[in-house]
Amino acid sequence: MTQAKHEPGMTGYVGIWFGLLCIVGIEVFLTFESLSTHQLLASLLVLAFIEAGIGLLYFMHLKYERPSLFWSLVPAVVFVLLMMNHIWPDAYRVASMKLPIQ
Amino acid sequence: MSEAEIMPGAVHAAALEPSPYGIQSKKLTMWLFIISDAVTFGAVLYGYAYLRAGTPNWPTPFHFSPSIVNGLIMTFVLLSSSLTMLAAVAAAKQGRKSSSLTWLGATILLGIIFAALHLREWFHLFQDGWSLSKNPLGGSVAFGATFFSITGLHLLHVISGVIALIVIAIGYNTNWLDSGHVETTGLYWHFVDLVWMFVFPLLYLMNVAR
Repeated sequence: MTQAKHEPGMTGYVGIWFGLLCIVGIEVFLTFESLSTHQLLASLLVLAFIEAGIGLLYFMHLKYERPSLFWSLVPAVVFVLLMMNHIWPDAYRVASMKLPIQ
Repeated sequence: MSEAEIMPGAVHAAALEPSPYGIQSKKLTMWLFIISDAVTFGAVLYGYAYLRAGTPNWPTPFHFSPSIVNGLIMTFVLLSSSLTMLAAVAAAKQGRKSSSLTWLGATILLGIIFAALHLREWFHLFQDGWSLSKNPLGGSVAFGATFFSITGLHLLHVISGVIALIVIAIGYNTNWLDSGHVETTGLYWHFVDLVWMFVFPLLYLMNVAR
């Protein structure tokens, strides 16, 4: 059912595995550079999303499935995660809320 | 009266209907489980990241050695287990059962090594005085709660994956299960690996003493 003929083969997978290890190395390198907490968090998240994308497309073969599978799954997850990002900062407001004193 | 007795034609039509995505139903089910699990991990990691970035006295207990070195070894082991899983799936698709079982065994072994390294890390932290509600360094106690909860949730997935792989290997060896089951379990295993790609930088690297 899947289009196995397009898959990269074990040599290709070893290359992808090595690339992912290199990205982890970059993450560790950045950790010990003088970046602020927010800069480091943003950098690590970007690299983690790149790793996740590579893993999803190649290791999990999403690239070789029908496009309908990708479009049914990925936008829904991205939407939910974006909405979480939109709603979570409201927790900061809750932390500073005080009940009116009579 | 069963559904088949009421509408036999409809049941047969449903059984013969091609998959809209061109994949087996068990694989689609695994994909649906994975996206729901991704949202679960997304929620806890978002919660952690906002807490981490918004707490000024957040403790940073990790040093390059031994914590980050141990984390790097764990990452190497888990990423390598994805590679062995790919080899197991490729061999199963080609009908090379003995090769597939060998690679499945390697994946199970790497999964057990990962879990052992993880538990060793935890016990070191316990010995240093860390727990869900205790922080020996002072500052926010939320570190222990978030660290042990999130890494524990991931470890639970790894242990479940190892058990699933053992069941699949036994079933595949006895012809009770087929190559499709190996492929579907492989999807889950890669997902566990993928989640670690977020857990390691956010929970280990973000908490390095600099």
